[in-house]
Amino acid sequence: MSILSGRNGQVLYDPAGVTPVALISLKEWKASFKTDYIDVTCFGDTNKVKVPGLADIAGSGNGFWNSTNVVLFAAASATTPGKLKLVPSSVEPTFFCSGLAYMSADIDVPVNGAPAVSFSWVAAGPFPWAP
Amino acid sequence: MADSSEIDNALVAKLGGDATLLALMPNGVYIEEAPPGMTRFVIVSLVTAIDEPIFGGDGFEDGLYLVDPRALSTSGGDVKAAAARIKTLLHLQPLTVAGYTSMIVHKDGRPGGRVEVDQVDASIRWNKRPAYYRVQMAPV
Repeated sequence: MSILSGRNGQVLYDPAGVTPVALISLKEWKASFKTDYIDVTCFGDTNKVKVPGLADIAGSGNGFWNSTNVVLFAAASATTPGKLKLVPSSVEPTFFCSGLAYMSADIDVPVNGAPAVSFSWVAAGPFPWAP
Repeated sequence: MADSSEIDNALVAKLGGDATLLALMPNGVYIEEAPPGMTRFVIVSLVTAIDEPIFGGDGFEDGLYLVDPRALSTSGGDVKAAAARIKTLLHLQPLTVAGYTSMIVHKDGRPGGRVEVDQVDASIRWNKRPAYYRVQMAPV
C-alpha cells in the first residue's frame, strides 16, 4: 500500500470500554509512544549507557464543536477509562492502535471563527498496534 | 452535493432581490464584472476560499467576498447608502444555499479606496464603498 492521505483518519471511542464508535467533526489526532530510558552509566564506560523503562503512551487531537456528538466532554469527566481506537486511514481499517484511555477535552470559541474542540488522552492499559 | 459556486450565486440573488438596494443600484448585482454601459451596480468577488477538512468529509467552507457598490461619479448614485443596505442584508443574517447550512455571514473589514479612475477614460471617476464579507457554510 502506498502513502495515504490523512483525510480518512478516524478517532473512535466507547465510554463503556467495549465497542468504539467514530467521533465526528474531528480533523487531527496524535499518539506518542515514547519510552523512558534509565541511566545505568558506570565508572569506566566510554559513553552514557541507558536501558529502556516503560513506554509513556499518550496523545491528543482536535476538530470542531458539533452538538450531535458531545462524547468527548462526557469522557473528560469519566472516572473510568473508555476504549479509544485511532485509525490512520479508514482506507486501511485493519491498521490501528487501541486500548483503554482517559480523556481530557477543551473547547475554544473565538468570535471570528468556528468553535473548536481539542482533546488529550493517556493510556490506562496496554495500547497496542494492530495488526 | 454541495456546490461552492452556489454560495456565490446565493449572495448575488439575495442582494439582487432586494428592492431597496436595487433602487440605489438599479443596474443590478453581478459576479466579477458588470456589462458595458452600466453606471450604478454592485460587484461581488470571491477573494479567498478555504475548505476546512474533517476526517472522512468536508467540515465547512470559509469564503471571503468583496462586495462593492459602484456608481459613475456623474450618475448621482449613493454608494454610501448602498453599502449600508448591503450590510443590513448580509451582516449576521442567514444565507440560504442548497446543499449547505449557513454558519455565519459577517462584515469582515473593508479595503481602502472610495474613488477609482476609469481604466479606459481617465477623465471618468467611479465612486465605491467596498467591504469584505466572510461567509462560512457547512455542507449537509
